[in-house]
Amino acid sequence: MSPAPADPLEYKPLDGGWGWMVVIGAHISIGFAYATPKVLSIFFNEIQQDLGSSFSEIALISSIMLAAMYAGGPVSSAMVNRFGSRPIVMLGGLLCGVSMITASFGTSIIYLYFCIGVIGGCGLSLNLNASLIIISKYFLKRRPLANGLAMAGSPVFLCVLAPFNQYLLVNFGWRGSLLILGGLMLHCCVAGALMRPVPLPCKPPSYALEKTVEEQPNSGNTKLKKRFVKNAKKFLDFSLFKDRGFVIYLIGSIMFIFGAYAPIVFLSAYAKSQGVEEYSAAYLLSIMGFVDMFVRPGTGLIANSKLVRPRIQYFFSFALVFNGTCHLLCPLIKSYAFLVVYAVFFGIGFGMVFALIFECLMDLMGSQRFPRAVGLVTIIECFPMLLGPPAAGLLVDVYHDYKYLFLMCGSVILTGGLFLFVMNIYNYHMLDKERQKQVRASEVEMKLTPQAGTGQTEPEAKERNVALRDPENTETTD
Amino acid sequence: MERELCLSVCVIQLWMESATRKLQGDTRAASLLQLKGEGGGLVVLLHDAASRETRKRSSERPAHRGDRGIIIMSAIRKQLSFQILLLFISCRNINTKTLGATAPPLDPTAPLQKLERSYVLKGDSHTEKVELLNPVSLVLMCTWTGSQNKPTNITGFWSKDGKEIENSRVTVQLENKQYNLKRTFSIASEADLGSYSCDFGGEAKINFVLAVPQMGDERDKPIVSYLGDSVVVPCKLDDSKPTPNTWNWYRANETGKEQIIAGQKFSIKNDEKKTKLVIHDLTADDSGLYYCGAVYGVGITMGRVELKVISFFEPLKPFIAILVEVIILVAAILLYEKSRSKKDYTAAGNGATDQTNTLSSGENNGPEESSSMRQRKV
Repeated sequence: MSPAPADPLEYKPLDGGWGWMVVIGAHISIGFAYATPKVLSIFFNEIQQDLGSSFSEIALISSIMLAAMYAGGPVSSAMVNRFGSRPIVMLGGLLCGVSMITASFGTSIIYLYFCIGVIGGCGLSLNLNASLIIISKYFLKRRPLANGLAMAGSPVFLCVLAPFNQYLLVNFGWRGSLLILGGLMLHCCVAGALMRPVPLPCKPPSYALEKTVEEQPNSGNTKLKKRFVKNAKKFLDFSLFKDRGFVIYLIGSIMFIFGAYAPIVFLSAYAKSQGVEEYSAAYLLSIMGFVDMFVRPGTGLIANSKLVRPRIQYFFSFALVFNGTCHLLCPLIKSYAFLVVYAVFFGIGFGMVFALIFECLMDLMGSQRFPRAVGLVTIIECFPMLLGPPAAGLLVDVYHDYKYLFLMCGSVILTGGLFLFVMNIYNYHMLDKERQKQVRASEVEMKLTPQAGTGQTEPEAKERNVALRDPENTETTD
Repeated sequence: MERELCLSVCVIQLWMESATRKLQGDTRAASLLQLKGEGGGLVVLLHDAASRETRKRSSERPAHRGDRGIIIMSAIRKQLSFQILLLFISCRNINTKTLGATAPPLDPTAPLQKLERSYVLKGDSHTEKVELLNPVSLVLMCTWTGSQNKPTNITGFWSKDGKEIENSRVTVQLENKQYNLKRTFSIASEADLGSYSCDFGGEAKINFVLAVPQMGDERDKPIVSYLGDSVVVPCKLDDSKPTPNTWNWYRANETGKEQIIAGQKFSIKNDEKKTKLVIHDLTADDSGLYYCGAVYGVGITMGRVELKVISFFEPLKPFIAILVEVIILVAAILLYEKSRSKKDYTAAGNGATDQTNTLSSGENNGPEESSSMRQRKV
């Protein structure tokens, strides 16, 4: 029915040049997105005293911010698809800045929930998704490295903002600090300015079709319903669930997120219960962050190598297994020296997983479907992220022993890793079979119409195959 | 204790007055000055006596002798009441000058609570901390196992805060290969707290440090707040320490500490082991050191908090600087891009007609579909 399938990537990604400036922009943007909810906790004591509320009410600010950041994913992805990354990141930066500035005038806790939690969280979600999407557009061959470098923003900004916030607090109080922090977050606008738009591949037939469908006059309920469904589909694309690889990835990452954050939250408390003094216990987290900073680009570099790139999903499952084992071994540790070693290994494992978590999704989905996929993944990840630490805390309260927390987190992550490993073997096997079918089909075609073979590298061929499997790609039939 | 002292002084003075009156032959006035019980009783007695005096005066009607008697009576009464008034005023002043220690009025006849502390020293010296809440009668017992050579007698003495206590030197006998020193101390006020040491002939020493429960970690960073705002200054006692009787707040000024009274500007909220001082309508003068004192029976333990009041312009200046920097960076990046794309556009325009550069869409808000076309890289 259709002509020869068009090259889905109608442009060759830059893989360098201005792409590295985009990586810097993404680094800043992602750094603020992940670090801000954590470093705000430095102000909580002061805010709690001035506003006279309990600690759990104050800690809710951070949770609301994280929830808004993850839940805003689909909206952010849809907006990026429409307008491109640059305006969205600049809008996100503006929202974050405004949220902090207005929060500095706050006199009630509800006001802070709204300003920092809702508005700030929305700004951060716009930043996060847009940065990831533009990396997938600018890079292909060097994408794991670019991802590793961009995701390294999170520990870097955490290590920089934490002492800086302390300094601000001592000199300006919490109101002045929030004001200045708002100014700093405006640097996300600078990051956005760096994200030069990449020309989208033009799909005249399908795009025109969509336009005509939307522009038809609104006559009758059925047309309205169709439009509503189509709009909803733009935000949450449930057809992605038909993709085997996507479902496997989703289950694995849900299990990881559930067990990932609790050890961080409780590490210093566990160290104190083992007899370590308070400053040394807090130091453990900084060690972890510091190690994380170097592991993420390093993992990106390894993942980029010829050996690992084709089997990157195995590398991801290895990282999960490593992380889980680390947590399972933690209860055996009693002395401070070994806790430091644990913190180092924890940092390595955590960094590896986070450097790969979005790279693997890009690898599975391809740059066409990635925006929709990442929106869906972030909103689904919202739930394990919010449930994980309280569930772990419940374990601690019931058993009065931290070892069960580590055992639970470790076992959940380990199971997720093993699940991913096994299911990916199956998935690659099935993908191989499908590819062989296609090769045979195109061989038949080539015999009929000789064409010059396209000199594609392996990742490019993979992108093509992935795009060919995209049900929304109307130019091929599966 | 001051009050007891004062009352006893009053009693002594009045007794002396009565004695002089007796010597002067004025028995009636002398009988007036009988003290019954506490100061309150004294006043009543005098009042009674005064009223009796007036009644007596009215009943007596002798001519000139009575008149002279009356004059003498009224003069003596006036003098006495004036003296008594003076004494009471001075007594009351002594009471109010004590700094804040609102200890409950102690029954002078009740014995102090007894407390014993002892320590067996094996080496050269040791320091033991003793936490006291209320006035006690403290018995300190020191035992020393002795050095290499154990002489039968050594001289032991007690010292407080480094200074030897008078008449405390005793000869200590060697009993069961040990030397023992024991002494009872009456710890009734803050002045009695300190470091008490028993010294065995200058060779071994045990220090007992008597103190009220100390405040936990003091925050060394100041609390920062803004002009016109209100701030909450907290103070917290560690959970392991006992609950104080009450909390006081003090403000440091040139001459020491001045107690803060709750009113329109300050409000104090006490909650067992925590206390909060709320200061409204901050001004620049409110900056400085504030002390919270946890009041126990035997003394007050102090915590220190520093308050810094700044104007809103202070954080505003760095904020404006950052804002300007961000605007400059964004403008620079966008202008650079525009100039670069213009160059590419003019270069491309001279080339093949097929090629159109889409990167000229450097504007922020233009939707990409409208200006993008298929680009083929050479």
